[in-house]
Amino acid sequence: MLKIEWGPQGAVVIEGRLDAAQAAAAQAFLDGVSGSVVLDCTALEYLSSAGLGVLLKTQKRLKAGAGQLRLTGVNRHVHDIFRYAGFDQIFEIAPAP
Amino acid sequence: MTVRQTFRPSFDALAELVAFTASAFDTQGIDRRLLPAVDFALEELFTNVVKYGGSGADIAVELRAIPNGVEACLTAEGVADFDPTRASPKDTTLPIEQRQPGGLGVQLTRQVVDSIEYEYQDTQRRSRVTFRKTLA
Repeated sequence: MLKIEWGPQGAVVIEGRLDAAQAAAAQAFLDGVSGSVVLDCTALEYLSSAGLGVLLKTQKRLKAGAGQLRLTGVNRHVHDIFRYAGFDQIFEIAPAP
Repeated sequence: MTVRQTFRPSFDALAELVAFTASAFDTQGIDRRLLPAVDFALEELFTNVVKYGGSGADIAVELRAIPNGVEACLTAEGVADFDPTRASPKDTTLPIEQRQPGGLGVQLTRQVVDSIEYEYQDTQRRSRVTFRKTLA
């Protein structure tokens, strides 16, 4: 399951699994985000290529308006997927401690 | 011991696939540190069949413990011949302006697993992908 909502201090908090079954719901939420936003991934357990597509589409739109998504609290699996996909070059990513 | 289950070819079956995999890991004593990578590879292979397979037939997944890891096998019938071990990679070094969503699943699967093999039987149009993942 996936939960995505506004959290404290204007961050978006994403929890659970961002997979093909949840991608549309995540995209629908992120389509409403504008400017520069922190995406708190502390409780994001898992991400597949469907999730990568959601994040890339969002980042492209935000960057076109001089904004961006900054990802924080990224776990090892998610960080590995980002690196393999080259997303560590197009997102600011702060890994989980 | 191999455990096997079939799944409807639908994204809605992903939760069931995840639960099956986690249970198989537990019953066979497979190290859970391998679970994210195995979940990833199974999801990518499974969703490819859902998106491009077209037959509507259930997809079979088998899992078994191997020394230091796991072997997984995904079988689909009535599908076209598509070899994930030979799919052309996308350039992941392009700047964001030149990147488009999609098309990375198979490529990333090849990176997260140790080995991957593909077989195709023309008569039944049966595709079988086997991969292995072990602790480094």
